[in-house]
Amino acid sequence: MNNTWESVIGLEVHVQLSTESKIFSNAPTKFGQTQNSQASLVDLGLPGVLPVLNEKTIEMAIKFGCAINANISSKAIFARKNYFYPDLPKGYQISQLDDPIVGEGKISIEVDNEEKFIGITRAHLEEDAGKSLHDRYENLSAIDLNRAGTPLLEIVSEPDLRSAKEAVAYLKKIHSIITFLEISDGNMSQGSMRCDANVSIRKYGEKEFGNRTELKNINSFRFVEKAINYEIDRQIEIVENGGSIDQETRLYDANKNETRSMRSKEHANDYRYFPDPDLVPVIISKEKIQEIQKTLPELPEQKISRFIKDYKISEYESKNLNVSKELSSFFEKVAKKISSPELAAKWILGDLMAILNKNNSEIQDSKISSEDMIDLLSRLEEGSISGPGAKKIIDLCWLSNESIDVLIKKEGFDEVKGEDELLEIITRIIRDNSKQFEQYLNGKDKLFGFFVGQVMKETKGNADPKLVNELLNKKLKQ
Amino acid sequence: MKISKKVLSNISSLSKIKIEEEIKSDLIKDLESILKMVTEMNKIDTSGIEPMSHPLEDADNLRKDKATKEIKRDEYQKSAPQTDDGFYLTPKVIE
Amino acid sequence: MEDLSKLSLIDQINGLKSRKFSSLELTEFYLKKIDQAKALNSFISLNENALKEAKKSDEKISKNKNSSLEGIPIAHKDIFCIKDQITTCGSKMLENFVSPYSSTVYEKLSNSGTVNLGKTNMDEFAMGSSNETSFFGNVLNPIDPERVPGGSSGGSASAVAANLCSFATGTDTGGSIRQPAAFCGITGIKPTYGRVSRWGMIAFASSLDQGGIFAKNALDAALALENIAGFDEKDSTSINKKVPSFLNEAKSKDKEHIVGIPKDIIEDIKDDKVKNNFYESLEILKKSGVKVKEIDLKNIQYSLPVYYVIAPAECSANLSRYDGVRFGHRCENPKDLEDLYERSRAEGFGEEVKKRILIGTYCLSAGYYEAYYIKAQKIRNLIKQSFVNAFKEVSSIMMPTCANVSFKLNSIQNPVEMYEQDIYTIPANLAGLPAISIPSGKIKNLPLGIQFIGNYLEEGNLFNLSNKFQQNSNFHNE
Repeated sequence: MNNTWESVIGLEVHVQLSTESKIFSNAPTKFGQTQNSQASLVDLGLPGVLPVLNEKTIEMAIKFGCAINANISSKAIFARKNYFYPDLPKGYQISQLDDPIVGEGKISIEVDNEEKFIGITRAHLEEDAGKSLHDRYENLSAIDLNRAGTPLLEIVSEPDLRSAKEAVAYLKKIHSIITFLEISDGNMSQGSMRCDANVSIRKYGEKEFGNRTELKNINSFRFVEKAINYEIDRQIEIVENGGSIDQETRLYDANKNETRSMRSKEHANDYRYFPDPDLVPVIISKEKIQEIQKTLPELPEQKISRFIKDYKISEYESKNLNVSKELSSFFEKVAKKISSPELAAKWILGDLMAILNKNNSEIQDSKISSEDMIDLLSRLEEGSISGPGAKKIIDLCWLSNESIDVLIKKEGFDEVKGEDELLEIITRIIRDNSKQFEQYLNGKDKLFGFFVGQVMKETKGNADPKLVNELLNKKLKQ
Repeated sequence: MKISKKVLSNISSLSKIKIEEEIKSDLIKDLESILKMVTEMNKIDTSGIEPMSHPLEDADNLRKDKATKEIKRDEYQKSAPQTDDGFYLTPKVIE
Repeated sequence: MEDLSKLSLIDQINGLKSRKFSSLELTEFYLKKIDQAKALNSFISLNENALKEAKKSDEKISKNKNSSLEGIPIAHKDIFCIKDQITTCGSKMLENFVSPYSSTVYEKLSNSGTVNLGKTNMDEFAMGSSNETSFFGNVLNPIDPERVPGGSSGGSASAVAANLCSFATGTDTGGSIRQPAAFCGITGIKPTYGRVSRWGMIAFASSLDQGGIFAKNALDAALALENIAGFDEKDSTSINKKVPSFLNEAKSKDKEHIVGIPKDIIEDIKDDKVKNNFYESLEILKKSGVKVKEIDLKNIQYSLPVYYVIAPAECSANLSRYDGVRFGHRCENPKDLEDLYERSRAEGFGEEVKKRILIGTYCLSAGYYEAYYIKAQKIRNLIKQSFVNAFKEVSSIMMPTCANVSFKLNSIQNPVEMYEQDIYTIPANLAGLPAISIPSGKIKNLPLGIQFIGNYLEEGNLFNLSNKFQQNSNFHNE
């Protein structure tokens, strides 16, 4: 890291709201459908069509506003943002400029054990554009307007972030809020949550901001960090070599891990916003806001404290379990069904997360269900399977469709050796390895490990290591 | 109000309408005469007046979140200049 | 056989009901007249199913299952989308556009049992006051074929005036129903903004556009309008208020009228013949027992400049969807996307449309937005307030419809001079008020009109007042 330069980052996060129909039309919003099969007359911008606002989007936006303690505007005004692009059917995007539905708010993030508040400038509703596919035809671009009109909540932060790490923490926090509120599935790989980053650098202590670049198209938590770090380094290098930063839009290329200038966006930034005359202002009453406030689900912060209190897990564990709604409820399902919630926290954050990460999966796509986890941990609690055995079962469970019980039987992990049986095995092992036994008695203490290994080998791991140690200690010293 | 060729070229590019060189000066003359008429507005003091973008103040006309199953892509694409396999096609866009 | 086409709508309904003639006879009669009057160029396209529709109506009438306008042959301005029919909006851009859906106005009239004869000619995208901007050629004024019928709904006006249909639909953004109604000597009503759904009515300037009716007299217009008015959930700007029977209101004997005369405006009328006609018309009204009161409509003189900011600004965005991608004209062999846009739009739009898009783009562009668009909106507010104040004292306001009679084809070349055609009609659009034009006499064989502007949702009042006038005059039958 560079000690001269401070980076200044603001994020614009686009969140697709999980409504059934689009923001201004009754077309469905399903992902991954046949091209243009989800684009209605309105989405196509045919002559004579008109937008009618989906009331659910207003409710969802208010929910978000309440969750970050922001001001909710008493009226929402929609404006036209004018520019031409093939996947923008009307030649304008219906968005908000003045009177965004959600005003200033803030959220807390934690980086390196330090809490920091990040300002939210605003959050507004708008419609998503369609998709242009440039690789499908040799000399043509193909336009699919299924996504056009999908409701978006654009959340704009203040330039309060000072590192790529903070940006990731912020993004994760937004992700957890929107998923806890159930206003979005937050699925970054499907584009339900997308992020543009405004990045600039300045010398430490300086008050003025440097020229910023806008990084587009960052579609995973991992890429956010990489893209921003790449961009910071690029800017530092330019400035240190006497150059200056152009205020421009840059595209992040995940394959090459680099950002490059998007010339196509350069000259088209006079958007000529004006109030959309097809949509009159939506009045938002105080009663409506209060009503929504009342039905607000439990948010990450509340859940974190409750988990610590109810389940006696550590703050660290509780925070990590509450990074997403899915993980949080996965844990809660398991914790409620077994006698030691701490065990659930330990195993979910440990071995389960490890295998998810290894397979690049999210908890919602986990091949190990909460029921599987309950079965496994119950067996562990009653001592009918060992820890190492359980670890192996997790690996096996990921690869097969069998239930935990079947897997345990199949692999013979249920034959955990009792004390008597273990003693018998230990006696036999000492007898078969009399030479090592003699050396051990003569002071070669290191050989204790050898005997542990032999026992574990003999029991195929179905033995409680603690018990094995205990018994061996007793037997060897007899 | 004068409209320079530069301004004309800017609004032509923003509105994506190609303007042939030979009609430019006549067009500028027309646009200037319209703007001259429009600047009559400056005779009136509007300080403190709220802008009104719509004759209706509000209309509580929102839609329930319900999706239709009636999307008839092929019908909607009948008048499209160029399609293939359900896609609309344009000259290749370079990002 | 008598000339069925000269019968009023109400007489035609009675004739059909009493089986004096059939819808098929009536429709054939009109089709023959349309064929004979081809030179007027009132129609852009004819409905090949007209006779079929007429037969269907006859069947319904024979079974006494007739709807309110069963079997009445009408014409639609070619701005209203009709499913599976070409809807051109008077533009080359939409020369081949077959609409995949129908406008609410068409649907409603179709459900009322009308027979659609065809689509009438119009100024391109409703931008014009003489019907000379149509891609499909001039329309001639049936009263004097050397003169224009007015615009933008010139085809509908000439078709009704020449008895080529029973009544016709039109749209009015700044006077596009009332001015041609005046030029052709017929009755034309633009209802309150939001009374008639704009769904499927191709947009020019969304906050000003309103659908309406051309008819032979006020009673016909009242009956026709009540068949297209009403709330539509597909249009956010549609007013959710019950529609009264305009016909009953028109005929009501209980209505008291206080007609407001904006003295300054009347005194400023340049043409003495027009001014005299206004005062003569006022005398007719007075004789029928109507009270008159002088009023002051402040700032109304700014309507024209305000309109020529707002209408072009809105149209510049409304017409961005014509980009040669999903429908409409596409240029030959575009070399790239930019070329596709710029040439398709340059070729597809006519000169007047381009001019207005350019003016609108200018007024919205960075640096000019406040000075033009916001300024215009502020004055629009003042103009509305003037009306609101006036309606505290009067029940309607009377003005000439136009400052002159119909002019000769190609005689007005200066755009501003053409725009001045609408100085008396624009104020009602800016305020969203209902307004009607009825014939009030002639200057050398050329019709003149007077205009009544009503308070919000008081169309019934306007019909009643107009009917009173028509009961005491015969201009509408000349």
